[in-house]
Amino acid sequence: MSDPRIHGIVLCGVGGQGALSLAQVVLEALRRSKLHALQSEIHGMSQRGGSVHAQVCFSEVPLSSPIIDEGCADLLIALEPLEALRYVAMLRLDGHLVVSEEPQTDMAGYPPLDDVYAALKAVRGAHLVDTEDLARRLNHRQAGGMALLGMASKFLPVAEATWRAVISERFEAKGARVTEKNLQAFDAGRGLVQETVGA
Amino acid sequence: MGHHSLALGVEAVGCAAFDAGVKGAFGYPGTPSTEGFEFVEAMIHAEPQSHVGRVAHWAANEKVAYDLALGVSYAGHRTLVTMKHVGLNVALDAYANSALTGVRGGLVLLVADDPGMHSSQNEQDSRRLAEFAWLPCLEPSTVQECYDFTGRAFELSEALQVPVMVRVVTRLAHCRAPMVRRETLAPTGLGVAPKATVQDWVLIPSNARRRYVDLLAKQPRMIADLAPLNVLRPGTGRRGVALAGMGRAYFEQLALEHPALTTLPRLDIAAYPLDPQLETAFLALVDEVFVFEEDYPVLEERLGLRGRATIHGRLDGAIPRTGELSPRLLKTALDLTTAAGKAAIALDLPVRAPRFCDGCGHVDAYEAMQEALQNLGVSDARVFGDIGCYTLAAQEPMGAIHAVVEMGASISMAVGAAMAGQTPSVAVIGDSTFGHSGLPALLTAAGSGVNVTIMILDNRVVGMTGQQPSQALDQVERMVLGMGIPAAQLQVLTPLPKQHEANVKAMESALQHAGPSVVVFRRECIQSLRRGLLKDHDREEKARHEHACCTPEVLS
Repeated sequence: MSDPRIHGIVLCGVGGQGALSLAQVVLEALRRSKLHALQSEIHGMSQRGGSVHAQVCFSEVPLSSPIIDEGCADLLIALEPLEALRYVAMLRLDGHLVVSEEPQTDMAGYPPLDDVYAALKAVRGAHLVDTEDLARRLNHRQAGGMALLGMASKFLPVAEATWRAVISERFEAKGARVTEKNLQAFDAGRGLVQETVGA
Repeated sequence: MGHHSLALGVEAVGCAAFDAGVKGAFGYPGTPSTEGFEFVEAMIHAEPQSHVGRVAHWAANEKVAYDLALGVSYAGHRTLVTMKHVGLNVALDAYANSALTGVRGGLVLLVADDPGMHSSQNEQDSRRLAEFAWLPCLEPSTVQECYDFTGRAFELSEALQVPVMVRVVTRLAHCRAPMVRRETLAPTGLGVAPKATVQDWVLIPSNARRRYVDLLAKQPRMIADLAPLNVLRPGTGRRGVALAGMGRAYFEQLALEHPALTTLPRLDIAAYPLDPQLETAFLALVDEVFVFEEDYPVLEERLGLRGRATIHGRLDGAIPRTGELSPRLLKTALDLTTAAGKAAIALDLPVRAPRFCDGCGHVDAYEAMQEALQNLGVSDARVFGDIGCYTLAAQEPMGAIHAVVEMGASISMAVGAAMAGQTPSVAVIGDSTFGHSGLPALLTAAGSGVNVTIMILDNRVVGMTGQQPSQALDQVERMVLGMGIPAAQLQVLTPLPKQHEANVKAMESALQHAGPSVVVFRRECIQSLRRGLLKDHDREEKARHEHACCTPEVLS
């Protein structure tokens, strides 16, 4: 018998960071894993450097609502630390938060960074990723998103081969080198969880 | 066909229109409807060259788009027209009157409403406009229904010989989910209408009176044909739910987690006009009803008027009067408990508002305007703005525009204010919005002779909705002159930081001119430039121009 539980993922960031395209990778990977999945996204003015967020719902049973209730998400993937804080209340008590430490501060009234990090670290199940350092090490400026996805993939019921296939297809048109770079970033992120868990 | 792919709700509508064999698809960009047209456009453009005759075309505005579709339908072919909810206001004249003429080839109107106003100026409910026009409206609640209902809408449109609306809301328009396609039909036509029916399309009063009677007489048949889409499930107990659109989708999912909900008496609504007998039958089963629908209390008011049951919804406060529906609102109304999640962050989180892209020409244009006003000693200017990316200038700290109402309004509002004695009176409008509905306003402005300064921010594309082609491309000066603005009062500037001083001076002279003057600020949208969207166009234009220069037959 199918498990009727409904799982939710929230993805957030700043317009232009790629939160929506990351959501599409997640949706496709879940779908290939024989799960029923739906995604909700908001377009329009949000693309102009404002807050952007998308949600993905999935289950073993067919679903009809693309959005999750507060306190019901299993996972929050945040491309920006302040944006992450807006959606923490979307998470279940035992939910995980995978968040980039790299701030986008070009806005009025950005809180002191130490306060932002402290608030994030106080969240149980939070995994902060130094995406800036990771990008430097991988020599890939835009590695952050894929690395976060790699880490997040540890909390999702999708086989590693499926992730790699979906990512490869997504970047196919941009050539083998770009695909390889993104897979590397994904692997690096995935590796971070083992370190964390092992510690 | 059974082809399985992921699609947005509005894309599923576009795809279904293609599969239903539309000959023409039209629209005007507007969030959250835009991708519906873009999807069918891409499918039509991908067809082999040998497969002639299908067309997908953005129109100058929604009314033009609707009339294009009406022409295709009168010519005997299926057609799709897409717009956002406020776009239907622009097309309402065409929509309401086409109810009287009726259609020949199936005509389906996709309207995307925006409850919660994610990127709109109001949250009007298009179901009310379908009711107002006495026309059928289908309301899907899932991506698959978007596909299935659209195919059905074409059949209904041809069976009932009226336009059929497919109404979606933002959450469905931009829900991405699997879609199973059915058979793809070739675009076959019904041929030219027989002579006997031609009078039906001529709405002179004698015909219109007859056609209005015909339209009202069709209502019972509409209700009968739509009946399979509206379902009454008797259930048990005297407490029921009435569901439509996303209300249906959210409830369905809640019932997975709360199986007790599945036994409630339930009325599922997916098509309008509503059947009074169905409503009465439902109300006979219940003493108390929760109504979950998106936007206006359409169903709620109907049920409230028809029976003695207590109705809970937007009118009694069970659901907030404004804004989007959500699973949480349903849970609260139904008194369902939710396990506590993580606590919200106590830190004060400032809003990250959308802003102009780095290097956007609009910013340079506004800075020139503001400095010119300041140099002329105007400290409390009231500038009339319009709809597009440049609306962002209304936000502080820029605070450069002070009224934004609807597409094309800036020019007429500035003329009106100038007539009332406001000086200076300035309008700011984009090139696409100018082509959409600024032209008649400029005609009036030129004829009025009043002291207005009209800034046209020409970024050469429809910037905000994703850089679709602007109908005004390369035409703005000719349009301005053609509306009667003298050449001496038309300036064309380049909004770049290095041109700032010159632009300020030019703005000052326009503001000081005692009659109507137009200043065009032209620089390609930075996003369009990055994507190289106009590269081919500009190369072709340049080649054509060079060719024309050495051809003696140039008109002067």
